[in-house]
Amino acid sequence: MYLYLPVALTSISIFIPVGLGLVVGLLSGLFGVGGGFLMTPLLMMFGIPPVVAAATDANQIVAASTSGTYAHWRMGNVDFKMGIHLLVGSFIGGLTGVQLIKILRAMGNADFTIKLTYVIMLGSVGTYMFFESLSALRKKGITEKAGKEQKKESAVGRFLKSLPLQTHYEKSGVTHSILVPVFLGGFVGILAAIMGVGGGFLMVPVMVYMLRMPMHVVVGTSLFQVLFTCIEVTFLQAYTNHAVDFILAVLLLLGSTIGAQIGAAFGKRLKGEQLRILLACIVLAVTVKIILELTLTPSLFIAQTGGH
Amino acid sequence: MKINLKPQILNPNYYPKKLKIFWGPLYYLLAVIAVLVLTVSGKASAELTIKANHDHIKIDFFYHGDEVTVSGTSDAGVDLMVKITSPETHLVMKKKGKVAGLLWMNVGTLNFEHTPNLYFLHSTRGIEELLAQEEMDKEIIGYDALMKHVGITPIENDYEREKWFKEFVRFKEDSRLYNIASGDITVTEAGNRQEYFIKLPWPYQAQPGEYTITVYAIRDKRISEKAEAKVLVEQVGGVEVLADMAKNNGALYGIISIVVAVAAGFGVGMIFRKGGSH
Repeated sequence: MYLYLPVALTSISIFIPVGLGLVVGLLSGLFGVGGGFLMTPLLMMFGIPPVVAAATDANQIVAASTSGTYAHWRMGNVDFKMGIHLLVGSFIGGLTGVQLIKILRAMGNADFTIKLTYVIMLGSVGTYMFFESLSALRKKGITEKAGKEQKKESAVGRFLKSLPLQTHYEKSGVTHSILVPVFLGGFVGILAAIMGVGGGFLMVPVMVYMLRMPMHVVVGTSLFQVLFTCIEVTFLQAYTNHAVDFILAVLLLLGSTIGAQIGAAFGKRLKGEQLRILLACIVLAVTVKIILELTLTPSLFIAQTGGH
Repeated sequence: MKINLKPQILNPNYYPKKLKIFWGPLYYLLAVIAVLVLTVSGKASAELTIKANHDHIKIDFFYHGDEVTVSGTSDAGVDLMVKITSPETHLVMKKKGKVAGLLWMNVGTLNFEHTPNLYFLHSTRGIEELLAQEEMDKEIIGYDALMKHVGITPIENDYEREKWFKEFVRFKEDSRLYNIASGDITVTEAGNRQEYFIKLPWPYQAQPGEYTITVYAIRDKRISEKAEAKVLVEQVGGVEVLADMAKNNGALYGIISIVVAVAAGFGVGMIFRKGGSH
């Protein structure tokens, strides 16, 4: 059964967006990422114009992350205090990033720098997460792990502990200066704005390795953060680009809201390091895909404007 | 265009007195010639007819493209061409190229001016053997003629112009919006006339707008006649309301999209919670 999409100006079988929504929603509920890095190119593959694909994806992530945040909140996995502090940072970072990209573009060859940074960033985050979680899975010894964490914390933590405005984040069981999540949120916000992605794949490792939050709380809190970022993006895309396709978004969210619930429930049965290694594999697969795109001769040498 | 029905040459007072005696017969002679010319040309333009079975395609939620049948009659023995085009637009495309001799990336943009969003050309035989090039250029028939008509910037030379135009055509053909085919017009003899017929799939990718169907009758590599019909593609009902709202009331449209998404997220969450409690 086909439905016509009034903004994308194309017709699509309803099973495609519902199916895509289900898969990407599942990843969202499982790992706390929006999944834009997967959904936007997939939608483009099915003939959705790039700008509409990116804008409508943001709209469906609002639904998927609401569903996911709700599921994780019921499990006690959302640290609202940490989420809000990260949000403040990423909001400021987003604004800074938009200005930075203008400067980069004025300098010329910005796309090359951006794409290369994106690949290096994805590759190194994926590789680090993969080996870290692999060694954690191998060791399994709780005492050993605790000892290792203690050692690492003392190395990184001395400077962080010296910062003002220290506060305890109860849900995450960590104490940090408010400035730390605001700064890290800002860093992710800048990168996300420059790369034109939601930044979930960066936010999750930042929360795990720099804020030292437990993996399950990371997933819930990341989704809470993603929800607000995507509300902002959806509104701006609808207001300035007129690019949100409501019908497509509804079809996607039919799948993604259910997928997010299944993902959250499934994630409960997995250990933190198991979740991390799965996410690392996905991040690395996306890295390989981008490298192939960059190195293989494209079938067409022109493309529609908009999108990544 | 306003036609002066009594030009100086037809005014008897314009001529010297001596010539006035000739005026009567001359006047009638001119009148007869004029009537003859008008009759002959009128007859010629009535030879070729065109009819599209759909002149109004409505896009509703269940629209998945359509079918348009173009038919009519022409003089027997002529070749025929059917061209369908949309009004011309300006398109900006990203250009891909190799950076640092290694990576394929976007390396700037290309402006395509005077490009129809849709271009279909069907003919009884291959277009190159049917028509002289200058006739094709005049009526923008075929990709070569279209290439001369389209403006592409920035490019440095004709080689680049051809290269990027070919890419543009490939892009449009991938989207099913450009197509050139021959031998697919059915022609049946009907006395000293012939009837033609072609059934074309109308792609759902074709945007709303007014499309022009032109049929050309071709004799001795020249266009002897042409006739036109219009097809209007229009969004209706809910599709029209949503498209209009997205375009003209972006803020409200955005808020509704967000509210629906949040409500759906919570709704599904509630259902799963209920399901989980059982």
